[in-house]
Amino acid sequence: MKTKRKVWTIAIAAALATSGAIASAQENEPIKFGLCFDLSKSYTFISPQVAQAAQDLAMYTNENGGIEGHPVEIIVRDHGNEPQRGVECYEQLKREGVFIYNFLSTPVTNAALPRAMKDGNILMQSFVGRGDAVDGEVFGWVFPVGPTYWQQAANDVAFIKGQMGGDLSDAKIGFIYLDYPFGQEPIEILKTLAEKEGFQLELYPVPLPGSDQSGAWSKIRRDKPDYVISWLLAGGHVVASKEMRRNGFPIDRYLSVNWMNEVDINNIGAEEAKGVLRGTNVAGGQDVPIVKTMLDTYYANGKGSGPESLVRDVYYNLGLAVYTTGFEAARLAIQENGWPLTPESMKSGYEAIENFDANGLMAPVTVTPQDHGGGGKTRIEQWDGANWVPLTDWSADYIDVVWEVIKESSAKFTVE
Amino acid sequence: MFYRLSGVYHSSLISDSRMFKVPADRNLAVFLLLIGLAAPFILPSLYLNSYILPWLIWTAAALGLNLVTGWAGQLHLGYAAVMAVGAYSAIHAVRLGVPWEIALIIGGLAASVIGSLFAFAALRVKGLYLALTTLAMQFVMDWVLTHSPTISGGSHASLQAPTLALLGQQITSDAGYYYVALGWCVLVTIFMLNLKRTGLGRALVAVREKDFAAAILGVNSFYYKILAFAASSFIAGVSGALLVATFYFLAAPEQFSVNVSIQVLAMVIVGGLGSIIGSYFGVALILLVPGLVNGLVVTASEELGMQVNVETLAHIPNAVYGALIVIILMIEPLGLGKLYGNIRDYLMTWPFDQLRK
Repeated sequence: MKTKRKVWTIAIAAALATSGAIASAQENEPIKFGLCFDLSKSYTFISPQVAQAAQDLAMYTNENGGIEGHPVEIIVRDHGNEPQRGVECYEQLKREGVFIYNFLSTPVTNAALPRAMKDGNILMQSFVGRGDAVDGEVFGWVFPVGPTYWQQAANDVAFIKGQMGGDLSDAKIGFIYLDYPFGQEPIEILKTLAEKEGFQLELYPVPLPGSDQSGAWSKIRRDKPDYVISWLLAGGHVVASKEMRRNGFPIDRYLSVNWMNEVDINNIGAEEAKGVLRGTNVAGGQDVPIVKTMLDTYYANGKGSGPESLVRDVYYNLGLAVYTTGFEAARLAIQENGWPLTPESMKSGYEAIENFDANGLMAPVTVTPQDHGGGGKTRIEQWDGANWVPLTDWSADYIDVVWEVIKESSAKFTVE
Repeated sequence: MFYRLSGVYHSSLISDSRMFKVPADRNLAVFLLLIGLAAPFILPSLYLNSYILPWLIWTAAALGLNLVTGWAGQLHLGYAAVMAVGAYSAIHAVRLGVPWEIALIIGGLAASVIGSLFAFAALRVKGLYLALTTLAMQFVMDWVLTHSPTISGGSHASLQAPTLALLGQQITSDAGYYYVALGWCVLVTIFMLNLKRTGLGRALVAVREKDFAAAILGVNSFYYKILAFAASSFIAGVSGALLVATFYFLAAPEQFSVNVSIQVLAMVIVGGLGSIIGSYFGVALILLVPGLVNGLVVTASEELGMQVNVETLAHIPNAVYGALIVIILMIEPLGLGKLYGNIRDYLMTWPFDQLRK
């Protein structure tokens, strides 16, 4: 009798212990962020920096109590910029319990988007993929927090307007771009603005990969535009700087899309690049508090997630910006709807982000159920030979014009 | 032992030109087909929808390229462009209200027309010159897609495909998509198996070996080259449309870019020119091995607790995969299909041939 009772007690105790263990295991279940990146083909100029930033940020968060007590896990996989492998990565991570994805590649994001929309999983797609995805009413599960290329182009025009004394009626603005969807995207908005503001718009297409620009720049020499807005990538800027020198176009009238980093400046030559302009939504450099923290806590002790050289790159800051926003969304989600975190609560967490700038790391974003882009604020910075100096404050202009284009485009997405 | 030949006699031309001359081959094919039909019930959905399904569709596409390159001997570097023509015309047709069944055929026919247009160039030029002509076709198509928003679907160049529906049935489940892909792949395979034993197939081979020698024998190489291009383009068009309808769900120009063309050609070459089973193996190697090796390397590094940089981790699978292709082509230059054939031929008489030695 006694032994029987003992056995029972032990059994019950064991059962209780296991259920307790299960509960605490669930409690300690990490928040998983899936990073299916192109680490071996076309996007290698940015993916390693962003992945490293995400890993550093997760390490820092976990060492400081996690997100509302829950640890973060960063899962990095390579998809080699192949849509097929991106889908495979999505499906595989989905089964490992990931519901927050980032693909950091336009073709792969496009291929995964219908699945994420159908399954109701969070798709972080800052800076890549279709721009009209900021329309939260159509793309409920997609969060492209940051400026669309349309908004960036509109902000660039607003900056030029400010520089030219608030009147663009006599101005001539050139637009040099890579002749494929990435570069062609802003054309529509620039045409609309040209009509509205009365400036003359000149288009200068450049064939991929942007290493032959001589034709475009000799045309620019003849046209003499007041400013040239540039939608080129990486090496394209270096070629452009050579052509500017050859054709006598002042480099301080060259306004680049946000894709221009320290590597490009080094390739142009720090002195030679003096005066070049860049539109951005992320503060560059290492004076930003969070970047400083990472350098002091980890890299000073050789404990960072990768080489320190990658930290001294604006795309590292960009990665931090994308993932601080993601972590903030998770924090708000758990705070509001409790644990466990679900795609639905993550979505409402994102949509509750208000005036968040990650302590001076980026333009303040306010995500709403209608606007998943967070407002699209950018600023114009100028390279002074050693640092990027901001010329304007964070702002977004021509919002109504941009949203007209967004709405028109997103309306075409839905099919039965 | 496995491929028993005893009791197999061919006493007439008809029996000699059977699809499967050895019963074991037929039994194996039937067995594989049964496994294929049962796959949704055996395999986890991950394998079904992200490995097997694209494998089947790409195999159908690779068989189409094998028809023009392996059988008719015309090097084709713009195959993905032909697939794009099929995909875009089918999707636009469906978006305009045409039912999917007809839209797929429209896609195939549109691809056929555009593909044959380039076949006219094939009549004037051969070998590397033809390769360049077809490559030009690829670039023309890329340019058209990136410069005509009406075709590519707006300034983002991504065109959403409506839900696939066949025979009045909406298809939305993994198993449904899989069966559509399987059906198409089996259809193309049967066509190719039959091609081997018809006059058309022999005429194509004659054209491949020496087109003016074929002309002397009375084979109109002009006609057969166009026929090969048209048939292969039709297969490409339908495969492209199905790829979007069952796998990507939206069409974007990058899905049919020049590197995809080269990939399909690689599938055919690694698999074996003119080999049907080889196409299956070749697609598996080119399409699936990078992802699988990637998974293996990641797991291995996690198991061993190695702190490997994410970038290094991404490049190891590429190196392994590249080495694999080189090794396979060094062991058997005629491809994986021939490798399989060697094993099969060895087993034909094994173990009884050992007795004689």
